Amino acid sequence: MRGLTKIFHTTVRRPGFAGAVRSLIAPQRAAKTVVRDVSFDVARGELLALLGPNGAGKSTTIKMLTGILTPTRGEVAVAGMNPHLDRRRNAGNIGAVFGQRTQLWWDLPAKESFTILRSIYGVPAERHRARLAELDRLLELSEFWDTRVRHLSLGQRVRCDLAAALLHDPAIVFLDEPTIGMDVVVKEQVRGLLRHEVEQRGRAVLLTTHDMTEVERLAERVVLINHGRIVLDGSLEEVRREFGGTWRIHATIADSAAAAFSSPSQPVSARDLPAGLELFSQDRTEIVFAPVAASGDTPAITVPEALRAVVDRYPIVGISIEETDLEDAMRAAYLRQGVATAEPEPESGPEPETQPEPEIEADHDAGQVVS
Amino acid sequence: MIETPSRQPLALRAAWITPLGELLAPPRIAATAIRMVIQVFLVVYLWHGLYSHTSTNSGLDRGQAVTFAVLAVLITRIRGLDRSAGRDTVFQHVAYGTIVYWFLRPLAPRRYYVLRALGDQAYGSAWVVVGYAACLASGVIEPPASGTAAVACAASLLLGQAVLYELTLLTDLMCFWTTHNNSAVQMIQFAQNLLSGAYAPLWYFPAWFITMSSFLPFQSTLNTPLSLYIGRIPVRQAPGDLLFQAAWVAGLALISRLLWDRAARRVAVQGG
Amino acid sequence: MRPTMWRRFTEAWSVAWQITALNFRAQLEYRAEFLIQIAFGIVWQLSIIVFAAVLLAKFSGMGGWTSSQILLLVATRMLCNGLYVLYCGSVFSLAFLVQQGFVDGFLLRPMPVFRQVQLVAFQTNGIGDLLVGVGLFAGAIARSPLDWTAGRIAYLAAGVIGGTLLITAVFTAVSAAALHFPASWYWSLWIGEVSATFGSYPLSILPRAVGELLTWLLPIAFIAYLPVGVLTGHGAGLGVPVAVAACAPLAALAMYVGSRLLWNWSLRHYTGVNG
Repeated sequence: MRGLTKIFHTTVRRPGFAGAVRSLIAPQRAAKTVVRDVSFDVARGELLALLGPNGAGKSTTIKMLTGILTPTRGEVAVAGMNPHLDRRRNAGNIGAVFGQRTQLWWDLPAKESFTILRSIYGVPAERHRARLAELDRLLELSEFWDTRVRHLSLGQRVRCDLAAALLHDPAIVFLDEPTIGMDVVVKEQVRGLLRHEVEQRGRAVLLTTHDMTEVERLAERVVLINHGRIVLDGSLEEVRREFGGTWRIHATIADSAAAAFSSPSQPVSARDLPAGLELFSQDRTEIVFAPVAASGDTPAITVPEALRAVVDRYPIVGISIEETDLEDAMRAAYLRQGVATAEPEPESGPEPETQPEPEIEADHDAGQVVS
Repeated sequence: MIETPSRQPLALRAAWITPLGELLAPPRIAATAIRMVIQVFLVVYLWHGLYSHTSTNSGLDRGQAVTFAVLAVLITRIRGLDRSAGRDTVFQHVAYGTIVYWFLRPLAPRRYYVLRALGDQAYGSAWVVVGYAACLASGVIEPPASGTAAVACAASLLLGQAVLYELTLLTDLMCFWTTHNNSAVQMIQFAQNLLSGAYAPLWYFPAWFITMSSFLPFQSTLNTPLSLYIGRIPVRQAPGDLLFQAAWVAGLALISRLLWDRAARRVAVQGG
Repeated sequence: MRPTMWRRFTEAWSVAWQITALNFRAQLEYRAEFLIQIAFGIVWQLSIIVFAAVLLAKFSGMGGWTSSQILLLVATRMLCNGLYVLYCGSVFSLAFLVQQGFVDGFLLRPMPVFRQVQLVAFQTNGIGDLLVGVGLFAGAIARSPLDWTAGRIAYLAAGVIGGTLLITAVFTAVSAAALHFPASWYWSLWIGEVSATFGSYPLSILPRAVGELLTWLLPIAFIAYLPVGVLTGHGAGLGVPVAVAACAPLAALAMYVGSRLLWNWSLRHYTGVNG
């Protein structure tokens, strides 16, 4: 997709009783830009995590990708088709699970829902049977697919919804917070399923989630959206590197050297830190070093180099390396964008594209699914 | 990845959804039967009671009045299937946000809606047929005024159900514009109940009322077909009435078709 | 120091009143809907009057009741219905509150669940019902040839309160099932229809057996027919002993209490809604 923008018009309600009555007669409207200039691509067999704080515009973006909402500006293509204009033809290509909302029929057993969906999607009986068996193997559905959906627990229902979304073998699956509220066992099952689908079946999966463990275990690529704009598009490594530093060294040094660190008469430069490392924190003999962020022509220090430098320079009693929490990195990412948007927006056209030109070409099956 | 078909799938199974839900719950079937029997019972006695001092009133004798009332009870069963307990009305889908899935399937929402309505109506019709046979056999109601009257009644009934379908569709489509469609539904239901003759044949009402309702589509569901059945409307008048019904169906269908396109474009799903 | 019972009572009412006021304001937010609901309520009730009037005009000798008597009957029932809708109307669609998970939430709060159900939303359609009910009631009293002594007025008032409580009792009892079975909604609908249809006729036009059904099985007779019947001097032909008929308001109260107990019992066995 390119330059996707979505502006909503809402009615502003005035406060108070008099205001409520006035709103009855003369409503006031306001325009709200929910998604601003979002562009990225998803390829076959790729699992992309769409992250961002609540209200960042993730769900709106997904709705535009599935063709439910029409973008105010910009273009989208799924396997070469415009999801909004070619909605029905594109339907066979996409599957979706929207968090708390089920597409199963409340009053019928889940198995019946699957049969009806088979009929709706026009899946041949043999293929349907095989697919159902496969999904049963991965999600253990047969234990409860004879129960009415009304009586299923949340975990069971979401598993059925996932199966329903995957029954017709779509090229891309959109998952909007599917594992919210589920227990650990079920979450593992779902992750296993997603991994299987991506790796064995070559499906593209676009996942929205707040669960960082999920992102860590599943996503190869992460797109961060905040205030309707893309903040970052890259691998997990890039996120960590850009927003949190990837690792820290926890060193326990001998008492004699500890004094040198904390003595007030010593200026900071005399603490003789290795190049590329900075002091993160100190608690008497517990020192934490963090890598200095790479800038311009000075590359970031690597872990082996940093370890060697610390061990060479100080009398170490104990040492360990810690990877920074992804959540901390995310928080920093959200906050950083918050600062950036405090500046006034230029009213010019779309921002210049920083991604390389994708190979879209007519050969849809080969690479790109969403573009 | 499957081949994306250029035509829509037939998906007849979708029509079976509501009946299946009912059939899987024998208590519901029993409850429906009980309510129907009691209603017929009460209605028969009510009209016998009202006619205890007169033989003919407004062109209807007791037998005709009772037949009319009982058939009205039976026929309101056809669309009496309320999907709200199964969280399956359009209003609920919009409220819960699950309407979004209607627009993600290769089956057009409009066609899906038609299939569901047809399935519901077919299921309701089965109840009507059974009830009719039982009432006729037990002598509670009279047979049709004549063979041609029966045919005219059947044709009129079909058209009447088509009108009702369109009216329901219009109120359902309103969900896409307003977050509440309760008042619209209630108004249509009210007009439908009053002006269709569900409570009492329209013939008892003053002349101006009958004339007014003849311009509206509501009487096509019950009053016209049942009046043909009992012979209150002579068969020779039938073609005119049927044509009028058909005109309403066409007109409403046009409006609803336009609105469907608009509704699809308007899908504003709540949340996130 | 534990607050006295009186104090708790007044506080509970104060809270209920505040919530009602908020609910009312919430209804105003959906502008068109609010106005339509009121207008619709009025039109709906007026149509029932029209319908009853038509049948009244066409069919003479409604079980020996004169038109002014039937008017009083219809008006009483209508007023009771309007009061019920405003007091307890939300219990009618309890199945949907259950479906949406509201009842699960109610169980966590320090207020009795039934009261929370009553306070869940302002029943705007009750306004229209009540306006017409009051108007018709006033008209019926004005047209009635009865001598309105203090005793008669008191009895009529008791009858109205009793009727309201009875309608509430019937729908509360059905909604007790709604806590477990969503399909009980269809029963609520059906009972509403039957009571609206048959509650407006003097039941003496129906054969004895049917009248009994509507007195003891589905106690519609107790809503308006019995009290008004006693008032208008039809005490003998009501199908029940005059003493029983005269005690209709008390019977209604007993049924109301019974239905609340049934409801609480049903709530104790509530298992919650999933997903």
